[in-house]
Amino acid sequence: MNFMNDALFSQLSTLGASVVLFFGIALLWRRSLHSYVAAFKWQSAVLALLFVIVGYFGNDHELYIVAIVLFGLKVLIIPRYLDRLQARIGIEREATPYVNVASSLIIAGLLVLFAYAVTRPVVSLSTLPTRGGLPLAIGLIFVGLFVIITRKKALTQVVGFLVLENGIALLAALGTYGIPLIVELGVFLDVLMGFLVMQVFVYHIQSTFDSIDVDRLNQLRH
Amino acid sequence: MIHMNFILLLFPPLLAALLAFVVKPYRPFIGWINALLSLIPLGAALRFAAHVIAGNEAPTFGPGEMFRADGLSALLMVCVTSAAFIALFFSPGLRGETTYTPRQLRRYHVSMNLFIAATLVAVSANNVGILWIAVEATTIFSAFVIPLALTKEAVEASWKYILICSVGIALAFAGTVLGYFDFVTLSGRAENALNWPVLLETAPRLHPEVMQLAFVFILIGYGTKAGIAPMHTWLPDAHSEAPAPLSAMMSGVLLAVATYAIVRWKVVVDATLRSNYTNNLLLALGLLSLLIAAFSLVQAQNYKRMLAYSSIEHTGLICLGLGLGPLGAFAAMLHLLNHAVAKPMLFILAGRVLHRYHTTEIDRVSGLLKVMPWTGGLFAAAILAIIGLPPFGLFISEFALFRAGFAAGHPWLMGAVLALLAVAFVALISHLNKMLYGAPAEGLAVGETSGWQIAPLFLSVAVLVTLGLTQPAPLTTLLNQIVAIVARP
Repeated sequence: MNFMNDALFSQLSTLGASVVLFFGIALLWRRSLHSYVAAFKWQSAVLALLFVIVGYFGNDHELYIVAIVLFGLKVLIIPRYLDRLQARIGIEREATPYVNVASSLIIAGLLVLFAYAVTRPVVSLSTLPTRGGLPLAIGLIFVGLFVIITRKKALTQVVGFLVLENGIALLAALGTYGIPLIVELGVFLDVLMGFLVMQVFVYHIQSTFDSIDVDRLNQLRH
Repeated sequence: MIHMNFILLLFPPLLAALLAFVVKPYRPFIGWINALLSLIPLGAALRFAAHVIAGNEAPTFGPGEMFRADGLSALLMVCVTSAAFIALFFSPGLRGETTYTPRQLRRYHVSMNLFIAATLVAVSANNVGILWIAVEATTIFSAFVIPLALTKEAVEASWKYILICSVGIALAFAGTVLGYFDFVTLSGRAENALNWPVLLETAPRLHPEVMQLAFVFILIGYGTKAGIAPMHTWLPDAHSEAPAPLSAMMSGVLLAVATYAIVRWKVVVDATLRSNYTNNLLLALGLLSLLIAAFSLVQAQNYKRMLAYSSIEHTGLICLGLGLGPLGAFAAMLHLLNHAVAKPMLFILAGRVLHRYHTTEIDRVSGLLKVMPWTGGLFAAAILAIIGLPPFGLFISEFALFRAGFAAGHPWLMGAVLALLAVAFVALISHLNKMLYGAPAEGLAVGETSGWQIAPLFLSVAVLVTLGLTQPAPLTTLLNQIVAIVARP
């Protein structure tokens, strides 16, 4: 029975991780800012569900609290702010990113492969049923980084950062069944505050530059 | 009762922030209260240092021993609190004349004090998770202050700062999680697993490959905040656009705190790997930072950016020292202290120059010695100090660095470092010359305004000269204790 449980747990967690990663890659494929926010919202919802699954199978009830806070913060609060921000600024689409869609998707695939290579020692060490999803978590971190580097709209960069944080939370969930609760809550607080600050700055950028193209942020030279 | 010292350390900045928040609109007496309150943490830090130097056990405090003050923490605490006092003493809004509105000043004082509190939590945290939270908090609080005046340049600088540093910090968190992962795989989950002494004790049994990967994330992550190349791109912008006191704290102290985080992890990873892995990484990145900084200094046209590049140069030197074994660690920590005294002074003086000349271009500043003799003189002295000339302290620490490099068997590396330092030397001297001499522009008021204000900076110079001529025994004891913590043979 325990073995069946383990197998089910393993499959559910890998499935969940794959869906989370998929939503991250969706950022590279869609072009409208509203769809980025939606992708992040769904990703966070699946991630919260994943925390519930890990909490249930891993017998750690603190993770239920983490899941609730995660859901409240990243599915309800932050996407609402993001949508409002996007509506106020009025920018609809990510025009031409530094790397086009097709190349981005190929590179995303390569990044996930790279993540598999890099995490081989980590996966082989773990005895947890969730270890199959670890490369996907690292892959999501890389994809988040890629979004930040190659996208031109400041708002997209903010979403990329939030996706990066999701990747790290996924890593913590799958690798260690979460981190000590007090640290987890501190992290959430930091993410919330960091997000609020970034949000304020997107407004500032819009009002000083009349655009949120980070291309225009080139005043500072030698 | 040494445990209560933690409260004296951490509570005053929070109180100061609360006061600044509550008093609306901002009034100058708030600024003065903040400056005076910042003397209490300075006293607490010195008390910790004395306690540790006397050979006592490192005191702890808080649930789960959240806070701990060993030699390394004590040194950083002294650096942070002394720079904080200087920064708050020179903050805008203390003396009537200012270009900022009361709203901006209120925001400034609240954020600065929260920033100081966060740095102090970071260096006294015993738990690497709390360390991470505090370092992230410093990014957030300082980001409120950088664009105090909402110019295009300030907004650009702040955006780069918050984005690059948050990404960096997120990567550092991934590294923290990986380290925790390794511990958990070995010993199962534990509430105090992220406590540094616990990690250190378990370290020899942790897995090398995982800790290698974790350290890469940690170095890139915290290295972003420390201004280590190639993650330094936010630094010249942010440090030059921020108000002078914040730049003083960021350059003098925040870089040191991020380096401190790297050092804490280095000790753990070294105990696992028992090889030169971390040393090699630090040497490589340190050299790269020095290289980029030296050549950027040559091209610098803005004197605040010039100071920022100098900070990158010195962070590079500290990294190099950390990669060179016990002698190098001694040199690096001494250098960290010297830099934390010299750099804030430079930024404060640069602020005064900006206030008078209304420009940050080196070419448009001339005749500084005629226009503001005391400011100009101190500025010159500080630049000579930062170049590494005797009789200032940085000469001693750089000399110690070279000694460590040769002892560790890296003569070619030290040759390269020497060459790069020479490049930086020439660049800084020539920029300084342009600024000090020559005819001042028309219509510039001559003579110091409220010259008495810069009196505390003479104290900074005195400290630098003392450190350059002698090595006080308590300091040597402290540094030796730190080396014992940091560079286990």
